[in-house]
Amino acid sequence: MSALPRRIIKETQRLMAEPVPGISAVPDESNARYFHVIVTGPEDSPFEGGLFKLELFLPEDYPMSAPKVRFITKIYHPNIDKLGRICLDILKDKWSPALQIRTVLLSIQALLSAPNPDDPLANDVAELWKINESEAIRNAKEWTRKYAMEN
Amino acid sequence: MGACQCKCCSSQDEDRSNLSAYDAPSSSHNNSVLGINGSSLNRDLSGSRKRAVASRVVDNLILQTLNMIGKLGLVGYNHEHPEVLEKLHIIGDKEEGWLQIIMSMINIVPVDDPLGPAVITVVLDDCPLPNKETVLKLVKILNLSKYTSYRLRKMVPVHHHRNMCVILGVLAEKLPGPSSVAMLTPGTLEYLIANLDSKKIDPVVTLFSLIALEKFAQITENKVLIKNYLDVEKNPLIRLEGLVKSENYVEAQVGFCARWLLDNIFPVNNRKLSYLMPETNKLNAMLNTQDASEYLKLSPDGIEARCDAYSFESVRCTFQINHGVWYYEATILSSGVMQIGWATMDSLFRNHEGYGIGDDECSISYDGCRQQLWYTALNESVDSRPPWQPGDVVGCLISVTEEYVCFYLNGHLVTKNSQLFSTARSGFYAAASFMTFQHCRFNFGHKPFKYPPVGIQFSTFNDHGCLSDSERIVLPKYVQFKQIQNLNILEDSCTLCFDNKATVLLEPCRHSGFCLKCSKQLTRCPVCRTKIDEVTEDDTLIDI
Repeated sequence: MSALPRRIIKETQRLMAEPVPGISAVPDESNARYFHVIVTGPEDSPFEGGLFKLELFLPEDYPMSAPKVRFITKIYHPNIDKLGRICLDILKDKWSPALQIRTVLLSIQALLSAPNPDDPLANDVAELWKINESEAIRNAKEWTRKYAMEN
Repeated sequence: MGACQCKCCSSQDEDRSNLSAYDAPSSSHNNSVLGINGSSLNRDLSGSRKRAVASRVVDNLILQTLNMIGKLGLVGYNHEHPEVLEKLHIIGDKEEGWLQIIMSMINIVPVDDPLGPAVITVVLDDCPLPNKETVLKLVKILNLSKYTSYRLRKMVPVHHHRNMCVILGVLAEKLPGPSSVAMLTPGTLEYLIANLDSKKIDPVVTLFSLIALEKFAQITENKVLIKNYLDVEKNPLIRLEGLVKSENYVEAQVGFCARWLLDNIFPVNNRKLSYLMPETNKLNAMLNTQDASEYLKLSPDGIEARCDAYSFESVRCTFQINHGVWYYEATILSSGVMQIGWATMDSLFRNHEGYGIGDDECSISYDGCRQQLWYTALNESVDSRPPWQPGDVVGCLISVTEEYVCFYLNGHLVTKNSQLFSTARSGFYAAASFMTFQHCRFNFGHKPFKYPPVGIQFSTFNDHGCLSDSERIVLPKYVQFKQIQNLNILEDSCTLCFDNKATVLLEPCRHSGFCLKCSKQLTRCPVCRTKIDEVTEDDTLIDI
């Protein structure tokens, strides 16, 4: 691995200068490829009021391959499994090097607003989301309160 | 093994009594998760019996995990979630279960198992993160204070303290800021600081207390708090730093970590940073600061490397080999998993995925902990002697002329192999990868070798290498970082790498803004995803 690519420096500078509303992404003090991320639960979603901690790292061949992102805070969501792994096309086969950290995080925030139980990662959650949406939403709210709100 | 004998736990029996055997896991999962038939877990068992059963089950699962990691490695199981971790995950999903897992780990992870601390990091990483209330409950159960460190020293086995410190460190790193702050109570902090007394405390406890303090300090609020404690009276780190040359290998690790903290996290006013010392190093070959994965800690003289991160960290040496016969040695300071050997520049350090030296076709390595030779991430058992111990010396020989590599342990030939040469003929570097809490010291020929191969003519990097003064400097990460952040970036740069000028046009979509180097790695346009038929020069640029 060589010195830090300018691409990463550039993105970091911009994230600091013009942060995305509702998202904070701060590079680790000793590792410029690792970001501590906090996403606020979108309004009018069952995750409203929650602060969700994620980790994001930029692999060696970024931006030719996608960042690796994982929820650290527990979340009840059909596209996020219990290890925090996210099912999102742009993190997999739909990745493009023109996408950025900021666009990835915006997509994740959008995924919180619009869960997609037809493309599930957490099967039991997705199942409930399809057969009894209101109960699933109740669970999601409960988990948000329990795990994503301090105090 | 078994129930916790230490006073810090038993005195809190009321709290522990809440740790009733957790409910059978949710219906979607098989009841056999507990290793016993859940429904037959007699409902009339007394609370304490139930607790004992639960703790035995958890103890067992943790020992199984330890066993599994010895075979599979730390992160090599990314794609399939091993059953034993799956069970622990389900148990840890409930507060009582999670607390039971913590207690079990404190009680049973042995101090002499080289993978002990690593298994704690794996289990905690895999369990759901606790919320703040659970963390506070744990702090209450542990009930740490400086007295835990002093008074109970003789009553509490070393491995309890060691495991407790490892756990505190892992949680400090994983938990969101407010929980990490909540966990660092005055009692916890006093306990960790009291453990820095190298005269009274076992060095292995001091070592993991230093690491826990480092992890807590990732939150600024904690960092300020810890610094205040350290600055009172005599800063214990200064004294510990003196152990860096100790003959005792655990003490030497303590010295290394103390010095690293003083250089990187808790600088002290009247102490010069190590890299500014004139005598730091006069070597002609060292570990390459520009060619190390992010979390690896390098000593100021550039010949020692240590990993305290939860990833698999790697580094290459500065010296490139294209022909001839070469030899170097590495002294093992810790006895866990390290892969030491040879790599070309094409070998990638995929630290977070758990791939390092020996895990692709451009590198080969020896791991004396699991006693394996690694090539293309496939292992081959190579030794029937006991696993390596601190102080053991690994010898690595490469003959480009005759196309083979040899690995030695304390002068005994472990294996001779030529697979590496099926992909590369030149451009080799000495290289190594480190699992969590592993540490070793290299000799690239700046001093006599301990076990030079007999009857083989070889050269050393130090005799043939050459480094500029700036290349010799091992900058603290935060200094390096500041320099990077101030870099200017030109407007006409490639929008993908920003390293080169944007010069090409993609056909047929005619999108531009890319350099030749990046465009060569693309099959589809990054903007519109159209398949690229041809890359041409962007002539609009030439006109300007």
